[in-house]
Amino acid sequence: MTTIFTGPDDHTTTGSGSRDDGGHGTLERRERRWGLLFVTPWLLGLVLLFITPLVLSLLMSFTNYELIDTDDQEIAWVGFDNWQRVFSDPEVGNGLWVTLKFALMFVPVSTLLPLSVAYLLTSERLWGRGVFRLLFYLPSMVPLVAAMIIWRFYLNAESGWFARLLRWFGLNPPNFLGDADWVLPALVLIGTWGIGNAVIIFIAALNGVPTELYEAARIDGAGKWRLFRDVTWPMISPITFYNVIITLVGLGQYFLVPFILQGVDGRPEGASRFYTMVFYQETFSFFQAGYGAALAWAMFIVVFTLTALLFWSAKFWVHYEFEER
Amino acid sequence: MATILSAARAAEPKRTFAELDLDTKRFLAKTTVTLFAVLLVVAFLLPLLFMVVSSLKTEQQIASQTILPRSPTTVEVTEGPFAGEAYDLYAVPTDDGLRSLLLVTKGREASTFVDPADPTVPIEWEGRWRTLEPALVLDPTFENFSEAWDALDFLLVLRNTGIIAGLGMAGTVMASTLVAYGLSRFRMPAKRLILSSLLATIILPPFVTLVPTYAVWLQVGWVGTWWPLIVPHFFGNAYNVFLLRQFFLGIPRDLDEASAIDGASPLRTLITIILPQAKGAVLAVSLFHFFFAWNDFLSPLIYLAGERGKQPISVALYDFLGLYDTAIPLVQAGAMLSMAVPILVFLLLQRIFLSGIDLSGSLK
Amino acid sequence: MSTTEPGSFRLPRLLALLAAMALLAAACGGGDDSADDDADSEASASAADTTEAATDTDDDDAAEESTSSGDAVEVRWFVGLGTGAQEEQIERQDAVVDAFNDSQGDIELVVEYIDNSTAADVLATQIAAGNAPDIIGPVGLEGSNAFAGQYADLEPLIAESGFDLSPFAGSEEVYRTAEGALEGIPFATFPSGIFYNKDLFDEAGLPYPPASYEADGSSVYGEGTEFEGPWDYEKLAEIAAILSVDTNGNDAASGAYDKAAIEQFGFAHQWTTNPTSLGTSFGAGRLEQTDGSAEFPDAWVESYKWYHNLVHEVGAAPNQTQTDSDLLAGNVFNSGNVAMVSTHLWYTCCIADLGDTWDIGALPTHDGTLVSKLHGDTFRIHKDSADPQAAFTVLEYFFDDAALDLLDVYGGMPARPDIRDSYFASLDEQFPQGVNWDVIIAGLEYADSPNHQTSMPSFLEADARVKEFETPLLDDPDFDIDAGIAEVEADLTALWAG
Repeated sequence: MTTIFTGPDDHTTTGSGSRDDGGHGTLERRERRWGLLFVTPWLLGLVLLFITPLVLSLLMSFTNYELIDTDDQEIAWVGFDNWQRVFSDPEVGNGLWVTLKFALMFVPVSTLLPLSVAYLLTSERLWGRGVFRLLFYLPSMVPLVAAMIIWRFYLNAESGWFARLLRWFGLNPPNFLGDADWVLPALVLIGTWGIGNAVIIFIAALNGVPTELYEAARIDGAGKWRLFRDVTWPMISPITFYNVIITLVGLGQYFLVPFILQGVDGRPEGASRFYTMVFYQETFSFFQAGYGAALAWAMFIVVFTLTALLFWSAKFWVHYEFEER
Repeated sequence: MATILSAARAAEPKRTFAELDLDTKRFLAKTTVTLFAVLLVVAFLLPLLFMVVSSLKTEQQIASQTILPRSPTTVEVTEGPFAGEAYDLYAVPTDDGLRSLLLVTKGREASTFVDPADPTVPIEWEGRWRTLEPALVLDPTFENFSEAWDALDFLLVLRNTGIIAGLGMAGTVMASTLVAYGLSRFRMPAKRLILSSLLATIILPPFVTLVPTYAVWLQVGWVGTWWPLIVPHFFGNAYNVFLLRQFFLGIPRDLDEASAIDGASPLRTLITIILPQAKGAVLAVSLFHFFFAWNDFLSPLIYLAGERGKQPISVALYDFLGLYDTAIPLVQAGAMLSMAVPILVFLLLQRIFLSGIDLSGSLK
Repeated sequence: MSTTEPGSFRLPRLLALLAAMALLAAACGGGDDSADDDADSEASASAADTTEAATDTDDDDAAEESTSSGDAVEVRWFVGLGTGAQEEQIERQDAVVDAFNDSQGDIELVVEYIDNSTAADVLATQIAAGNAPDIIGPVGLEGSNAFAGQYADLEPLIAESGFDLSPFAGSEEVYRTAEGALEGIPFATFPSGIFYNKDLFDEAGLPYPPASYEADGSSVYGEGTEFEGPWDYEKLAEIAAILSVDTNGNDAASGAYDKAAIEQFGFAHQWTTNPTSLGTSFGAGRLEQTDGSAEFPDAWVESYKWYHNLVHEVGAAPNQTQTDSDLLAGNVFNSGNVAMVSTHLWYTCCIADLGDTWDIGALPTHDGTLVSKLHGDTFRIHKDSADPQAAFTVLEYFFDDAALDLLDVYGGMPARPDIRDSYFASLDEQFPQGVNWDVIIAGLEYADSPNHQTSMPSFLEADARVKEFETPLLDDPDFDIDAGIAEVEADLTALWAG
């Protein structure tokens, strides 16, 4: 775990360590004590709010615990029953499939759209860049429930403005929230309201590319595409990597938007029933908290593995050599 | 971008473009790019406009499906067989040209109208009334806001949100500062492990710990109170710790080393040397927590279920949507109220958001 | 405050079990540090917590007592599992609560309104937290199915207080469980009828739906007019098509009807499109067969096909998107743009915008049989109520002084026949146009048996599966109903086989 998360070179620890080496033993001990003291809140929280509930949750996944006792059943250990059910439950398969489909649509959009917008907003040919940055960030400030209230009526295929707009262009609007084929694209569309932060950090990254590099490349006769591929992309790939990680972590927790818009059963016909909603329904609607714990843990394992894989893949496509600290 | 620009260029007639002097060329390019950005931003923000317009309508105006809040002109008839009621005004094509008449009796293929000037004489008209133009006037209403204000119990909800956000903010700023300071300035055993644990909690889906955490708070007796929404922040938060640690690492050590040589305790050094230089980062952490608390939904939903008097804005708004979802303008007005404070704060302190705070360095 | 007894907690018991297991693992396996630490920290945490919890509750009580009136017992009333949480109803229930609190000083009644869509989840959370409300209701059979085993037996309370059950004439027996406990007293009954908009019928030049039933439940539409015929669902569909109009004034019976620009619909099943309810409109039945398998009754399948056709082929009834659109705004009949809806008497709750333009008519028959779907509501007391006597005192108030007010709010007909007259008198005040209540009361004779809300095995999971069938039925024009039904049947059969 350590190597995965701190990456190939953790400058900070080794750096500060080598710097202070040579200090006296007592000084070092004193420093360690102070350091641990400062970190204590986190360590306490880690044990109380993460490790303990995690262990409890794991133990729970081996019981038949029900949130509300509807059939006078005693709590008992059931071995791997819940875990076997995770692998055979068609709802789990559907939930994973929905989540995967959404991820395949959303990850590219949540990377390329902010990048394009950032490109546009850093253009020298744009008037009022500050105002545009403000406006593209604005929806990120809209509280989630309020945003859902807006989108729910905005996307109504009969009277919502989006459908009217499409009709005005002569297109036949699909039933965004009611059609199994369209509900995920509709959720991706809603997700674009959250690009503000990514746009801002892409802008910072684009502005951070040294102009000498562009000039040097231009002297070599590089075209626009080659400029992007050979200069811009290597410089912004750490940001892109960060953005993909954040999106992926967000996907593992993606729940409220489909829950509020489409209900816990993920209308229509489970087309928007994400894995997280399967968990929620089992735990809070059917009260099967033991099975719910197994579902949640399985999800944790998957997200953890994917993140680890992504960190591993970083060495093939993320360029750190330009970043000095 | 490249494609955007070349598309913009292609839109210009080429021959003329080449003949233009440099300033005009630059002006045209700027206009095109800006126009494109305007279109994009309008499309992006159209749902917000939809909300504003909808919140200004009455339920009748919603049902009439006009884009703007427009009402039919009605005239009350005081004499004749149709006296005592108000009727809608329509533009009716008759033998004498287009006339403004009141529709008093609707029929499928023929209806009865009266002239508002002489309402005693019924005018039979052959044709379908649905195809007629009603006389609409712009007629926005602002009552939805006061109604939503009352129905949401907005001041109470604002107070609740303020308390939860404020205490949590104090907690997370204190704890995250201490932890970030410890991780940026001191050697300690298992530092890599601690850093990894911070990352791991970011990755951890909150659902995994939801039920056991709930059980713990239940044991403490705090379910139905604000404490489960506040206390966890006094242990710090991984995002905030990373953000502050990044910032502290960027502060030169010379000053705090000097302070240490003068005999100041590390805590004193943090308060007198580091924090004054990190005001911006601390403010950013505070703001991020404020918006987190404003948006946080699942925790208050679960911990304050049924405790209507204690709920923060997010849950109150969700309940409000459920209870009033057949009153579309009202819920849109409620949505607008709920975003007023965050948007105001954002507009006032936009620089902090737009300065581009990111954690990418710490994820290396 | 309904402080909970320790015995009602289940989570702590689970925690104890888990902690014991962790300790055991540590002791046996030896050297499993993490488990040891967890158990330790948890034990110490919970020890500290107990003291804190004790002081905390003290503080709370003190704070609450200082603000509220003296040392009254707090009784919490949970509204939302059935009717009662609609915009129009809240204020009037608040008035009942205030009146009760003003009438005496021993009990402080506190009401919570939870929207129907989340009410079950919220109640579940409260119960799991050991923070269950004292009174739950009004709740129909469906709500009681979902929370089986959570209700108190009322019989000891009835005996203790001397509450007179005789006016109910044995109708309370529906609330008796298999174990013999009486979990409810009938409060309101809601038969069904056709609510229709007179203006829209007038505009189309059509006669109104029939106003009474023959002895066999049949009725005749448009007697003496060109539209005369037996009042069945076929006839209703024919009339509904004429009552559906697009923006150009073409109706659905004409070839020129534009389904993309509908301005007015002829018919809708209002808030009764749950597949068990929708199916029962064509005939009572049940999903669970004697051999434990699941099978939809033939009449139900026919009703789905009939309605799906009316919605998607004819365009005379709104689909889900149209229902949610600005035109109908979720409450379709109230919008004034739907000519007829089939629904229960509780719909009088939510019809305020329509003025005096509506009345109630007879339900049509299917294959010669009439079904008037019946809902029955009651108030229940949770088994963990800290003071069931106080809760029952509130129930007595609901059944006596406040009965008419509450029945009026819910649009519920009193289950006690002796107070029905004054109930309808108050409804007539509210709707002075002279609504034909007799036809909807007559529906009691043709109530669905078995009731469409009868429980089934694994109720929560089975019910969720059946409800999933509703969305494609209402929103998918190409939905293959037979295939969909086969899927539900297979899933339910598998679920019930365990």
